[in-house]
Amino acid sequence: MTRADSLIQELIEIVGTRGVLYRKEDLLAYECDAYTIHRGMPRAVVFPATTEEVAGVVKHLHKQRIPFLPRGAGTGLSGGAIPIGGEVIISLVRMKKLLHVDLENRLAIVQPGFVNLKLTHSISDKGYYYAPDPSSQYACTIGGNVAENAGGAHCLKYGVTTNHILGLEVVLPNGEIIELGGVPDMPGYDLIGLLTGSEGTLGIVTKITVRILKNPEDKKTVLAYFDEVEDASYAVSDIIAAGIVPAALEMMDTVAIEGVECGTYPVGHPPGLKALLLIEVDGIAAGIDEQIDEIVAVCRRRNVLEVRVARDEAERGRWWANRKTAFAAMGTISPDYLVQDGVIPRSRLPEVLNEIRQISETSGLRIANVFHAGDGNLHPLILFDARKPGETELAVNVGSAVLRVCADAGGTITGEHGVGIEKKEEMRYVFTGEEIEAQTRVREVFNPDHLLNPDKLFPKPGRCAEMGIIRE
Amino acid sequence: MMSQSGTEIVKPHTEPVVFATMSPLQAAEEDKYSACVHCGMCLESCPTYDELGHEHQSPRGRVHLMKAVAQGKMDISEAYADPIFTCLDCRACETACPSGVQVGTLIEEARGHIRQAIPLTGWKKTVSRTFLRGLFPHPSRLHALGKALKVYQRSGLGKFVRRTGLINIAPPHIREMEAIMPQITEPVLIRYPQGVPAEGEAKMRVALFTGCVMDVMFSDINEATIRVLIRNGYSVELPQEQRCCGALHVHAGDREEGKRLARKNIDAFLASGVDKVIVNAAGCGCALKEYPELLKDDVQYRDKAEVFAEKVEDITKFLHEYGYRKPRGKLDTRVTYHDACHLAHGQGIRQEPRDLLASIPGIQMIPLPDADRCCGSAGIYNLTNPEMAASILDKKMENVPAAAEVISMGNPGCMLQIAMGVAKYGRSQKVVHTVQLLDWSYQKEEQNERTEEVR
Repeated sequence: MTRADSLIQELIEIVGTRGVLYRKEDLLAYECDAYTIHRGMPRAVVFPATTEEVAGVVKHLHKQRIPFLPRGAGTGLSGGAIPIGGEVIISLVRMKKLLHVDLENRLAIVQPGFVNLKLTHSISDKGYYYAPDPSSQYACTIGGNVAENAGGAHCLKYGVTTNHILGLEVVLPNGEIIELGGVPDMPGYDLIGLLTGSEGTLGIVTKITVRILKNPEDKKTVLAYFDEVEDASYAVSDIIAAGIVPAALEMMDTVAIEGVECGTYPVGHPPGLKALLLIEVDGIAAGIDEQIDEIVAVCRRRNVLEVRVARDEAERGRWWANRKTAFAAMGTISPDYLVQDGVIPRSRLPEVLNEIRQISETSGLRIANVFHAGDGNLHPLILFDARKPGETELAVNVGSAVLRVCADAGGTITGEHGVGIEKKEEMRYVFTGEEIEAQTRVREVFNPDHLLNPDKLFPKPGRCAEMGIIRE
Repeated sequence: MMSQSGTEIVKPHTEPVVFATMSPLQAAEEDKYSACVHCGMCLESCPTYDELGHEHQSPRGRVHLMKAVAQGKMDISEAYADPIFTCLDCRACETACPSGVQVGTLIEEARGHIRQAIPLTGWKKTVSRTFLRGLFPHPSRLHALGKALKVYQRSGLGKFVRRTGLINIAPPHIREMEAIMPQITEPVLIRYPQGVPAEGEAKMRVALFTGCVMDVMFSDINEATIRVLIRNGYSVELPQEQRCCGALHVHAGDREEGKRLARKNIDAFLASGVDKVIVNAAGCGCALKEYPELLKDDVQYRDKAEVFAEKVEDITKFLHEYGYRKPRGKLDTRVTYHDACHLAHGQGIRQEPRDLLASIPGIQMIPLPDADRCCGSAGIYNLTNPEMAASILDKKMENVPAAAEVISMGNPGCMLQIAMGVAKYGRSQKVVHTVQLLDWSYQKEEQNERTEEVR
């Protein structure tokens, strides 16, 4: 028996025959997550069903010095769950229970493989919901949301995942099980804050206590069409400047609109639009109409072509389905895309969008913009065809150039998709070598042997960015 | 660019046997899968992923493997065949997919390739031969089987009906409906060779696609469909040369037999010169509508296939669109509606049957959670993958509300499967086709009118 064979046997002893995949054919589908540019084959995929099984697997791998990484639904967009070093994947999809709902204290306890939207579906009849709503919420897991500190359209008003996590149960890279938090505002260091968004480099989350919210009494949604991107951008700033905090403030440009209209959930947006805004306000019923009137007035002052309020829940649902499936709908107009995730100060929106357009023109690759305009979180989708020689590399370089623009505008390289393997080198756009080293020293405390999700999140020390930048 | 650093792969315990690699011709479907951007939005919609949690048993994973085979990175082997044949072909992923990847078509084509490369052996071959080639395509053999079944049914005092949960301990008004439910008759294709004229002036001539199994096991549903159609002024033709739709063949990878049957049906129905071809089995309807895809390389038939497919319509959509008189007979029962995959996901028909049911006096609709989740029937899937089919059925039955007295749907495969679920769980629900409820309401209305006259 080879060493590899005995590893599989040992894993089977911990999680059972049905809990391990190891044939090459069965592993191939795990060579990437929703970021498909880098790929690597895992050594095996393990499916623990309990925290103890996770700990058992981790302890064993730790003892054997075999690298490993956690994976949820694999909807991540920066490659955090891609085994670039032959890691063993610990898949958490079989730990998918809703363990406890406590309406009085407004919290729920879930296993990491529990799907984001299912939480809202499970409590909506009682008038509650879970606020963080990444566009992949139909499929992504809350464990993955914690790893990436996922955002979403409604995070403008309600905050991102980290603002909704009350407690975590974590398996550390040596197999030890720890509990963090459980009640709001624990004294001492905010370790939950540290773990949330650590991209699976500090520990594997096995139980999550989340905050749940009461459904807003009322909500209204506005759709506004523009024939100048600048007008739409200024309207975004004006709405916030008017003192309104919309629940969501989303923008799409021409190429993005073309994509969603070819997709499964078209709304019937007129062709040739330069930009559209999707704006939602919610809260107590009194005052909602005034906010809507104000938003409509702002849009009119910014030369809106057409602005209307959703007639009913069905129409609102259609608008959101159209927006939330926008990324994947690009599959209808391009075989591949690379989505970027830069964040910029809202006031710089018009000029940054302009620079992105110039990068697109210079490189010859189309860029669709669909993004959370309200918090300046851009999602330029770089459209390319991986079958054409050199185009993948070009797309990667274009992505890097876009992030440089965001960083130079006083922003950062990721709002909610994480760094993963994709943006490791771009971390240098926003951190100095010392700052990066300081952060990796924090990682050492939890993950001293680098066995858990190695080579993610931070660039290797000393190596400078090698990515060519198109616009230079 | 592609990182290959993680290429160390565990040697499988048993080396999969490799049978063939994909030829360039077979790989021509590139555009169909290149629309898949690997986003994962399909995962939760997939019953087999829900059950197993394995990426390669998900729609995205399966498409990923097809790509790998087409690009020569993977061989056609049993390890590839397993996820491709574990798919239910329920198309729920097509509803979920933002970029419109036709997973069903891709799966069916992949199965065709696999069956060419790895012909079936053993009992699977026997089952496949007997049913797919030996029985379904031959109306006379099917009808003979039907007769045998009828004899069995009589001798067994309706044991069969009871076993499939059709009677059980039903409350009085359900038994009342049972009483007006027609006895299983001979296939309508034999009974009405000349077709059936409309009552009153004919608004339109339509043809009924009787289905192979439908006309033997559920000829009462075909009878009900004909009665509802003629009552609403549609004359019904029954083209005698029609055959099995071929869906099961295409699902099983026997594309040649599927194409042969498709050509037969196209000829039979186009010759009848009708305006519409009405189908009451969701699986058949979906297959008939997809003839253009199946015959896209057939120069002689591809245009005819388009013309034919345009005429095909599910009975509920047809009545909803072309009009029906609202029935007046009160049924007084609580109904829940199950979306057959090939109606909801395959043909986008969701609201029409619900509207039809809601228009029947006395019917109280109770929503079925996850109504459009597969029941596990999926053609002959429950025969080929019994374990998976059973766990999927369990989930369906858990969702059936206790308060419902009737479960209505639009596909015979689902009816058998859910009737089995009703029996297995000792539930009392009656499993019916949507058009039967409509028919019973019309019949009750007539009965009432006759009673009035007698008085």
